[in-house]
Amino acid sequence: MDSDIIIKLNKVNFYYGQSRALTDITMNFRKNKVSALIGPSGCGKSTLLRLLNRMNDLIDGTRVEGEILFEEKNIYAQNVDPVEIRRKIGMVFQKPNPFPKTIYNNISYGPKLTGIGVEDMDTLVEQSLKRAVLWDEVKDILNKSAMNLSGGQQQRLCIARALAMKPDILLMDEPTSALDPISTAKIEELIEELKKNYTIIIVTHNMQQAARISDETAFFYLGNLVEYNKTEKIFTNPDVKHTEDYITGRFG
Amino acid sequence: MENIMKSFKNNSMQWRYFKQSIFFGAVRLSAFIIALALGGILFYIIVNGIGAISWDFITKPPTDSMTKGGIMPAILGTIYLTIGAIAVGLPLGIVSAIYLTEYARQGKVIRLIKVGINCLAGVPSVVFGLFGLGFFVIFLKFGSSILSGSLTLGFLILPTIIGASEEALKSVPQTFREASLSLGVSKWQTIYRIVLPNALPGILTGSILGIGRAAGETAPIMFTAAAYFTAKLPGSIFDEVMALPYHIYVLATAGTNIEATRPIQFGTVLVLVAVVLSIDLIAIIIRSYMRKNKRW
Repeated sequence: MDSDIIIKLNKVNFYYGQSRALTDITMNFRKNKVSALIGPSGCGKSTLLRLLNRMNDLIDGTRVEGEILFEEKNIYAQNVDPVEIRRKIGMVFQKPNPFPKTIYNNISYGPKLTGIGVEDMDTLVEQSLKRAVLWDEVKDILNKSAMNLSGGQQQRLCIARALAMKPDILLMDEPTSALDPISTAKIEELIEELKKNYTIIIVTHNMQQAARISDETAFFYLGNLVEYNKTEKIFTNPDVKHTEDYITGRFG
Repeated sequence: MENIMKSFKNNSMQWRYFKQSIFFGAVRLSAFIIALALGGILFYIIVNGIGAISWDFITKPPTDSMTKGGIMPAILGTIYLTIGAIAVGLPLGIVSAIYLTEYARQGKVIRLIKVGINCLAGVPSVVFGLFGLGFFVIFLKFGSSILSGSLTLGFLILPTIIGASEEALKSVPQTFREASLSLGVSKWQTIYRIVLPNALPGILTGSILGIGRAAGETAPIMFTAAAYFTAKLPGSIFDEVMALPYHIYVLATAGTNIEATRPIQFGTVLVLVAVVLSIDLIAIIIRSYMRKNKRW
């Protein structure tokens, strides 16, 4: 196995009750790259993303087949605690979802409760907010409620909150779909910056976004992985006609 | 032709306005009737009861076979029983609601439990009283006491507390839970640190309204806690107490001189209503505070 592969999916099937949402997905995600998952609504891309940090466990009546290896260990093995997995694989959601707490406490919440030894919380908060390029905007209002921030600031706060856990991987589920173009541009710049230290897997409905920010792109359709390749290749000369049709907007 | 169409349109608008005003009138009237009924009851109680109220009335025990004196032991008894009911019902109710909404897999068993809880809410309060008599007073040998009465009242308000807590827990956005869990925070910590604090005002509001109702109940306590007369104040939770609702019942039906104690009866009713309404007031204050702070 190459050393730069951080997550490896092997024949993964996923079911909501009786209906199959993902079929025989086999793919690898590379370390310190941005991988984009694209495809029409209901194609299974968000489902796949939520499989990677076991968030689908929260839904009753779901079932996983196959294996998902994170650093060569199957995260769906019997003896694995999903809570441990989520500490290492952070997530940013579609709609900004800060806690109704102060900005400071939003960041310190995870590290404090999960007992990862933090010597200096103030430094960690500052560091996390700086990494999410939010520090300059909020450094004087750390004790104000996060609910007062704008949508774009809230989303960067959510990113900072995830970063405070020092994860290896950051999963992003359409992180800019609820934001205006300026906030979107800021988040995209941020992603560019973050990939130096983190592996990022992002679901997006925005084709230009995938083309702009990702190194690799996977196209999903009806629960199948249609094509997975370098982003440049997918957007200029895809192997599968289906992919080309989707990207050029002939269906979707 | 055009003119006819226009007048027809106008007519139909007028007809709709007319229907609307009739409907508004009916709605306004029914609200008015309810307010009138409440106002009438309060007015009647205050007019008849205010004469009996004095400092001695609320601070002294009854004298002369309860035809004179105050009702202090009954006020205190009702307060003890209410606090006891909260101590029993609130933790049990909240924990049950947390189990039902956060932990249990939604399915047939849970539906059955929920139906059971709803049925419990419909059980007449005298049945709770008899259950308390059979189980707490006799079987567990708690005797007629604050403990038995509190347990009985606690169970009486359990369905209300569970219902209010479930609603409050469900109203906490799912995204809060997801955000917390995605950070690697455990489920219990998520409930304890995020879900519960955000649901608490709602839980308290609903529960306190239920408790206010329980404070005025007679049937559950008449077999389990309430004494016909005791001038002595309770020394422990194993003592029986006087209580306002039962005191009213006794004075009005089984007193030594029913006619002569009418003013005292009205005075006691006024005090009971004041106690219940002030419990409700607490709920209203919590709710308005909650609305002010709710931001999602």
